[in-house]
Amino acid sequence: MNPLALTARYTRFEMKRVARNPRFLIFSMFLPVVMFAAYTSTDATDALGDITVGPYIMVSMASFGAMMSVVSTGGRIALERSGGWSRQLRLTALTNGQYLTSKIIGGFTLALPALVAVFVEAYATGRAKLSFGTYLEAGFWVLVGMVPLATFGILLGYLVRADNAGQLIGGMTSLLALAGGVWVPVEQFPGWLADIVKALPMYWSGAAGRDVIAGSWIGWRGLLVLAVWTLVLGRLAARSYARDQLRA
Amino acid sequence: MRRQRPSWQPLDVTGRSRTTGPEAARTDAFPAAPSATAPLRRGPADGDPARGAAPVALAGVRRSYGAVNAVDGVSLTVPAGQVVALLGPNGAGKSTTIDMLLGLTTQDAGTVSLFGLSPRRACAEGLVAAMLQNGGLLPFVTVETLLDTLRGLYPHPLTTAEAMRRAGVSDLAGLRTEKLSGGQRQRVRFATALLPDPQLLVLDEPTAAMDVSARQAFWAETRDWAAEGRTVLFATHYLAEADDFADRIVLLRAGRVVADGTTTEVKALVGGRVIRATLPRVDDHLLAALGRLPGVSRAARRGDTIELRCADSDAALRALLAEAPAVRDLEITGAGLEDAFMVLTADSATPPAQLAGSAVQIRAPHFGEMAP
Repeated sequence: MNPLALTARYTRFEMKRVARNPRFLIFSMFLPVVMFAAYTSTDATDALGDITVGPYIMVSMASFGAMMSVVSTGGRIALERSGGWSRQLRLTALTNGQYLTSKIIGGFTLALPALVAVFVEAYATGRAKLSFGTYLEAGFWVLVGMVPLATFGILLGYLVRADNAGQLIGGMTSLLALAGGVWVPVEQFPGWLADIVKALPMYWSGAAGRDVIAGSWIGWRGLLVLAVWTLVLGRLAARSYARDQLRA
Repeated sequence: MRRQRPSWQPLDVTGRSRTTGPEAARTDAFPAAPSATAPLRRGPADGDPARGAAPVALAGVRRSYGAVNAVDGVSLTVPAGQVVALLGPNGAGKSTTIDMLLGLTTQDAGTVSLFGLSPRRACAEGLVAAMLQNGGLLPFVTVETLLDTLRGLYPHPLTTAEAMRRAGVSDLAGLRTEKLSGGQRQRVRFATALLPDPQLLVLDEPTAAMDVSARQAFWAETRDWAAEGRTVLFATHYLAEADDFADRIVLLRAGRVVADGTTTEVKALVGGRVIRATLPRVDDHLLAALGRLPGVSRAARRGDTIELRCADSDAALRALLAEAPAVRDLEITGAGLEDAFMVLTADSATPPAQLAGSAVQIRAPHFGEMAP
């Protein structure tokens, strides 16, 4: 069977299934939109870092929503492993590689509605009036910053058991969001803590988006952090994946 | 009184299958002309050398988990059109054998081929489908969505409606899988197994969680399905199912094949019949004497009832009437599969091979045993 057609077919199924899940809608769409409105209600035009509060929080909330989508892929993998669905799929023409590809494409595609919703909200409420191209570029870089987190999601999916997966992934995403300066801007962290945060991948997703708005780009340091995390997490994910294949 | 062979050779009996040789297998598996009940089945692509190869060929397959040899050298060839029961107690290696057969677990040694292909390839071609134990159903989707999705992942599937009809789950189409009862889930799993329109169906404990009528309906449908010349391999610990449904029984114990033959042959392995009779006031001494009668391999008692397992029930009966004239309510039955099962799968201290012949030591832990 045509591998592209198979992957496309399974991706469509995966996305349909996720998009109907109320938890996905709440955490990845509703929450970022509400939090943006709450955080920017008074001081949207104050300066924060190189830009104003409005665009700053907009990027933070967009990357939070995107993160919820790409990391929650892991929860679904864990669920499908323990429920025997993965075994069932291994008896079809769909290969493991196509399965994972579908998961990754699905995770990133479902990150888009969160970005779009927050961007539209920011524009419509007048808290971040940017050009269309700037929104597009900021969105792109937020997604680039998600690559190590998507890898992290897959690692969790093959590492944890389904009954723990929900709680673990919920806790992990909150921690990542905190460490990435989503809840509290990194500019307000003490210097030593800010240095730690800047060695973590989550920070760079938001930073990459904000740099675009400030008229610059993420820079080599940020790209290096993202690349190293992707490689390390990717190796770990590959290892737990291989172990899972043997056990099944 | 135990007769042993130096080493156990499993009977390799083909059973009452409709097909035996590769020629017959080919005709059966790939009918020349389509008919209303058996539309032309697509096997491996035309011109493929795998055409006509045995649906299942395991050779010297082994798998250990740590120090435990779950499967310890299983060889098994199943010709097309045969219905084979893989029978054995828990831990005998049935599920591990099935997992290796399907390519879900890699074997430590030996080879697995399905229709001459690797398991992975045979599955991808839709030649093989399985009903696995537990799981396999994605939660939070309807039965119909689940089947539609799987359907898109096979090269020549049945329609979803046809698979649901055959598995008797048409009325469940709109239900979400996590809301199904145990028996319903099992029938939906059956539908997922029929969906690719396979030539080989592998069923791991298929009727667990089904009630009696569902079980009967399930086997009726599977029988119809197999009657179209297709192959079924099923693991079960329901002895009656193996007895009723299989052409051939492969008995596993501690990861090895301990018997392989037709149902009749496997029963014959126990050698003979059981005499039951009422005989009040049997003391240990008399019971031991009964156990030594000619033709009797083991004597046991339950209340006033005695039970003699016999290799030669004619000789045993004559001797019994002479030894204990008070005996009444005599009843002679053929040994059931249950007995064969008990003998051949008893704890590993018992050598596997006590076959036909006059002295069969039966170790059946379920009946009050008398040590002679």
